[in-house]
Amino acid sequence: MLKGFTRNFKPLEILSEEEIEAIHRGTLSVLRKTGVRFESKKALKLFEKNGCQVDYTDNRVRFPEGLVEECLQKCPSSFRVKARNPKNDMIWGGDTVYFQALSGTGSVDLDTWEPKTPTRKEYYDAITCLDALPNVHIIPWYTPWFGFKNIPPVMAMPEGLAARLRNSSKFTCSNYSMGCEVFNIQMAKAVGAEIRSSMAASPPLTFYEDAVENAFRTVEAGFILLITSGSVYGGTSPATIVGSLISGNAEIIAGIVLAQLIKPGTRIIVQDFSFPQNMRSGSPAFGAIEISLHQVAFNQIWRRYRVPIDGGVSYPGSKKIDYQAGYEKAITALIGALSGTNTIWIQGAMYGELAFHPVLAIIDDDMVGMIGRFLRGILVNDETMALDLIDEVGPIPGYYLNKEHTRKWWKLEQFIPKVADRLTYPEWLKEGKKDCLSLAKEKYQEILSTHKVDPPLTRSQEEEIERILKEAREYYRKKGMITDVEWKAYMKDLESPNYPYA
Amino acid sequence: MNNEILEGLRKAIKEYDNEKAENLAKRAVEEKLDPLRVLDAMTVAIREVGDAFGRGDLWLPDLVGAADAMQAAMPIIEEEIKRTGAKRESLGTVVAGTVFGDIHSIGKTMVCTLLTAEGFKVHDLGVNIKAEEFLQAIRNYNADILAMSALMTMTAPEQKKVIEQLKKEGLRDKIKIMVGGGAITEEFAKEIGADGYDPTAPGAVKLARKLIGR
Amino acid sequence: MAKGFMRRFPPLKILTDEQVEAIHRGTLDVLQETGVLVYNEKALSVFKKAGCDVDFETKRVKFPPGLVEECLRKCPSSFRVKARNPKDDLLIGQDNVLFFNFPGTDTVDLDTWEPRPPTKKEHIDLIRVLDALPNVHFLNAYPYFGFSGGIPEVMKEIEGVALRIRNSTKVTIAIANNDIDMFTIRMARAAGSEIFANPNTSSPLTCYTDQVNACFLAAEYDLPSMIWDGATSGGTAPASLAGAVVLSNAELMPYIVLLQLLKPGARVAVANLVLPQNMTNGAPAFGEIGVSLHNVAFNQVWREYGVPTVSSSCGPTSSKRIDFQLGYQKMMPTLLSALSGSSILQLYSSIYGEITAHPIQAILDDDIAGMIGRFLEGLEVSDESLAIDLINEVGPIPGHYLGKKHTRKWWKKEQFVPKAADRLTYPEWVKTGKKSCIDYAKERMEEILSTHKVDPPLTRSQEEEIERILKEAREYYRKKGMITDVEWESYKKIIGG
Repeated sequence: MLKGFTRNFKPLEILSEEEIEAIHRGTLSVLRKTGVRFESKKALKLFEKNGCQVDYTDNRVRFPEGLVEECLQKCPSSFRVKARNPKNDMIWGGDTVYFQALSGTGSVDLDTWEPKTPTRKEYYDAITCLDALPNVHIIPWYTPWFGFKNIPPVMAMPEGLAARLRNSSKFTCSNYSMGCEVFNIQMAKAVGAEIRSSMAASPPLTFYEDAVENAFRTVEAGFILLITSGSVYGGTSPATIVGSLISGNAEIIAGIVLAQLIKPGTRIIVQDFSFPQNMRSGSPAFGAIEISLHQVAFNQIWRRYRVPIDGGVSYPGSKKIDYQAGYEKAITALIGALSGTNTIWIQGAMYGELAFHPVLAIIDDDMVGMIGRFLRGILVNDETMALDLIDEVGPIPGYYLNKEHTRKWWKLEQFIPKVADRLTYPEWLKEGKKDCLSLAKEKYQEILSTHKVDPPLTRSQEEEIERILKEAREYYRKKGMITDVEWKAYMKDLESPNYPYA
Repeated sequence: MNNEILEGLRKAIKEYDNEKAENLAKRAVEEKLDPLRVLDAMTVAIREVGDAFGRGDLWLPDLVGAADAMQAAMPIIEEEIKRTGAKRESLGTVVAGTVFGDIHSIGKTMVCTLLTAEGFKVHDLGVNIKAEEFLQAIRNYNADILAMSALMTMTAPEQKKVIEQLKKEGLRDKIKIMVGGGAITEEFAKEIGADGYDPTAPGAVKLARKLIGR
Repeated sequence: MAKGFMRRFPPLKILTDEQVEAIHRGTLDVLQETGVLVYNEKALSVFKKAGCDVDFETKRVKFPPGLVEECLRKCPSSFRVKARNPKDDLLIGQDNVLFFNFPGTDTVDLDTWEPRPPTKKEHIDLIRVLDALPNVHFLNAYPYFGFSGGIPEVMKEIEGVALRIRNSTKVTIAIANNDIDMFTIRMARAAGSEIFANPNTSSPLTCYTDQVNACFLAAEYDLPSMIWDGATSGGTAPASLAGAVVLSNAELMPYIVLLQLLKPGARVAVANLVLPQNMTNGAPAFGEIGVSLHNVAFNQVWREYGVPTVSSSCGPTSSKRIDFQLGYQKMMPTLLSALSGSSILQLYSSIYGEITAHPIQAILDDDIAGMIGRFLEGLEVSDESLAIDLINEVGPIPGHYLGKKHTRKWWKKEQFVPKAADRLTYPEWVKTGKKSCIDYAKERMEEILSTHKVDPPLTRSQEEEIERILKEAREYYRKKGMITDVEWESYKKIIGG
C-alpha cells in the first residue's frame, strides 16, 4: 500500500464551532427551500420515491433534512482504493494526505511559454514520468492532457485512460463525456483496477443529465464517486466565500443523497473546485489566496460530516514556470495539506486549466516532499532533545558535525529536494548556473531512459483494452461524432509501427 | 421635470438600480418624453461606466450591474420607440449570443454592454443559442454584425456550424462575424472563417467599429 | 501607527502541551547544568549579583531556573516602538503580524544572476522602495552591506544607517558588531526615532562582548531589543529539531535575563534564524522545510513565554534567481510562520542566502505578504455573508450573481488583488507582450522611484547632527586602527573629506 503522508498534528482551522454550525444550517435551508435542479427523469423519480419534494415543471428537488443527514451518515469516513498494482493501493480519509497530478488542456513550449498540442509520444512519456515520481500517488483523468494530436475529441478520454493503464500502475481515474464512461469502466475492470469517476454540479444548483448518468454508472460498477462543485464566486455563486461554500455544499450534498440512494455505503470523496472571479476579465482568478480560505473552511465542515476530502487544486495564474507560479502553487497545496484535504491536486499544472508540463511535475514533486515532511512534524523525546549531547559539546569551540547523533538524525530530520538548486555561489557558477528548471529537464530525460512500469499490462489485458477502444471508435464513428477528416487522421495515427506506444 | 427624469435614469444606471431605472422609464413614457432622448441618456450613462471600466476605476460587477439596470428600462423604451415610429440612429445592429451547449455569459455580457455604450444597437440573445436561432435573429433585426462567444473547447466548433449555416442560406456576405471567448484563438477564428477576433471586451468594441468601417 | 495584519483564528500548533513543557524543562536544564560562555566582565558581575553560578576564569555562567522564569515573566507580551513619523510606529505582539526585509551583502544582475556590490544610488533605491511599500513595516540592518567605491568594512553599516534614516521614516535595527551601535543608536535618536538594539547569540552557547554590550546600550537608551539566534542544526546545534529548539532557546535566555535585570519590563522580541546544515557543502540549507518545522515549534514555545517572535529564516532561499524555486521557498516558510504565531516575518527583498537582495524582489514579495495577510484575516460569518436569501433568489441555472448588489459590495472585501502578479488570460497575455511578474515589478519600481518621497525629510539640524556623529565614528575607528591608511585614502574620496 502507498502510505502517502500522515498529518501528525491537529489541522489548521479558521472557523469557530458556531460558524460551522451556521454554514451547516444555511446549507440545509438551501436544500429544503431553494432546492437543486436535476435534468434527469431517472434521478427525479428516485428522489420522489425517497421523500423529496419534486417539481417536474422546473425539475427542482427539495430535500428533507432527515434524508440529508441519513445519506451523509451512509458515506464511509475512510476507505481503501485499489490500484492496478496493490503496492499503489491507498486509504483515503482521516489524517492521510495523498497528492495527485494536475492536468491541463495542452502542453506548453518551455521557451515561448505558449500552449501547444502534445503528440502521442509526449502523452505516453509524461505518464511514465508521473509513474516514476515518488510523491505522485494518483494520476487523475485527463492527465497529463485532454488528448493528443490526431485523436478526435470524443475519443480523448478513453484513449487517455488506456494510456495511463499502459504506462502506470498507480491509481487512476476517469470521467464522462458523450457516454464514454461505459468504455472507461470496462477498461478498468479488464485490468483489475478500481477507478474514481465524478459527478460535477453546474453551479448554481444544477446537475445536467450526463453527470447524473455517470453517477449511476460509476456507483453501479462499485467504483469511487467524486462529487464536485466548481463555481466562481461573484459569478455562479455568491461573492462571499461562506456564501459560496453554502451554495457549493448544497450541490455536493444533493449529489451525495443521489449516490447513497442508488447504493447505500457508496465510497464518496468530495471537492469544491471554486475560484474567485477575476473582476477585470471575468475568468476564474487562478492562484488567488481566497481559494485557500475557501478550502480551509470547506475542510472544516466536511471533516465534521466525516467524508474524505479532495481539493487544494494548485493552478497558478502565471503563464511561466516562474516566481509567481512557485508561490501560488505552494500556498494552495500547503494550506490544503495543513487543513485536512485528503487528496491534493498539484504536480505538473501550469496556467489555469490550460497547460501541463512533466518537467514542472518533477519540480512540484520536491515541493510536495517538503509539505509531506512538514506534516510529519517534530519528534520530542530524550534522544531528540539531546540534553546530554548539548552538555558534552558545550560552548564554542564545540560543534556537532562530527557526532554519531548527527550522522543518525540529520537524515531523519531533513528532506532533500531532488531538483532544487542547493549549491553555494562558487559551486553554482562552476556547474553552469543551473536552476531548478534545467535540473528538472535533466531528471526528466533520466526518468524516460530508466523508468519501467511495474508491472506492464499482460498480453490478454492489452488485447482487452484494444478491443474496448475499437468498440468505442466504431460506436462514435457510427454516431457521427467523428468526422471523416478526424477519422482519417486518427486511423493514420493507429498505423504507426510502434502502436500503441509512440 | 423632463431633465429630472433623464438625470434620474442616468443616475439609476450608474448606481446599478434596476427598479429605479424601470420606474423612471415608465414615467418617461407617461410624461411623453422623446424616447430617443431617453435612449441617448441611458447610452451616455452606460458609456461613462464603460469608460471607467476601461480606465480600471470600475470592475466587472459594476459593469454588469449597470447593464442590468439599463436592461430593466430598455423594453419599455423600445416599445415606445416602436409605438411612436421614431427613427433610431446607431452605429450598427449587432446580434450576440453564447453558442449552443455553452452557458457561459460573462464575456458575452461585457462585450454587449460596451457595444451598447459605444452606440451600437445590440440584441443579446443570451446563452445556449442554436444556429437557427442566430439566423432568425439576424433576419429579424437586419443585423450588421454577428458576435458569438464560446468558453469551452468542446463548444467552440459550434461557431463554425453557425457560419456554415449562414453560407448555406446565402447570408454570409451580408454580415460581419466576430468571435471570442476563452476557447477561441486568432488561428481558430481564421480557420472557421470569421471576420475578426479579440481576446478582450474593449478590444472587441474597436474590432466592431473596424468591421463596419466607422 | 503602521497597520499590520491581524490573525483572526487560533495559531497552527505541531507540538502537544506536554512537548512544549519538555522543551522548556530541557532549556532550563541546559542553562543550569551546561551553562553559557559570556565574554563580558560587566555582564558576569550582573549575573553573579543576581544569583547565577559564575566562573570568572572560564567565563562560564550557569543560571538558576527560577531566575530565568522570573525574567521571562518580566518581558511584555506586546509593546510599541516609536518611529520618526508616528504613522510608522510599530505595535509588536499579540496577534498583530508585521513584515520587514532580509538583507543581502550584494545586489544581483537580473540577466546573469551574478552578485555584485551595489552602487550608492542602488543602495538608496532599495531603501526608498522599502520605504514606499506599505507592508514593509520597518527596515532591517543593511539592506545591502555598504556600496561600491571603497568604504572601510567597519564603516559600511554606520554609513548604511545614515542612508536609511535619510531615506526612510521607518524604524530600523542597530547591529552590535564592533560596537558600531554606540554611534548608530545616537543617529536614530538625533532623527527622533527609536531603533532596535540587536544582540546576536553565537552557537553553541556563547555570548561575545560586543553583543552583550548591546544589552547595556538598550538599557541606557531605553530601547527595544531584537535578539537573534542563528544556529545551524547539525553543525552548531543538534541535528534533531527538538534539540535545536532547546539549544537556540538556551542561547537566547542569557540576553533575556540580562535585559530584564538591567531594566525590568524591557521590550524584547526573539528572532529565529536557525537553519539546517546542507550536508553536501556545509553551507546553511536556506529555504528548506526544516526551517519551518523549527519556526513553528519555536513560535509555540515562545507564545507560552509571552515573548513576541521574529521569523528571520523566511527571507533567504537557496535559489540564485527569481524563479519558481524562489517562489515556493519564500512562500512556504513565511506562511507557516504567520499561521503559527510569529509577530514579525522577515521576508522582503532577499534572494540567495544572505548574499543577494534586489528591490524588484521586494516588490514581488509584497504580493506574498498581501496574500498571507488576507489569509490571516479569515472569513466573516454573518447573515449577510452567508447570503441564504440571495442564493434562494438566484436559484439554479440560468441564475447568476455577477450583477447583484451583494457581489459589488462583497467581492472587494473578500478578494486580495496582487499588484505585480500576472492575472491575464492567455490571449490577453500574448497580446500584451507575455509579461511576467518580474516585468510588472519593474514597472512598479520605476513608478516608486520616480514618485516616492520620504515623509518627512530630515530637518537641517537633524542632518547636521547625523553628519557630526558619522565624523566622530570615522575618527574613532581610524584611531582604533580599524581603518587602514589605504582604506582611509579611498574613503576620503567618497565622503569628500
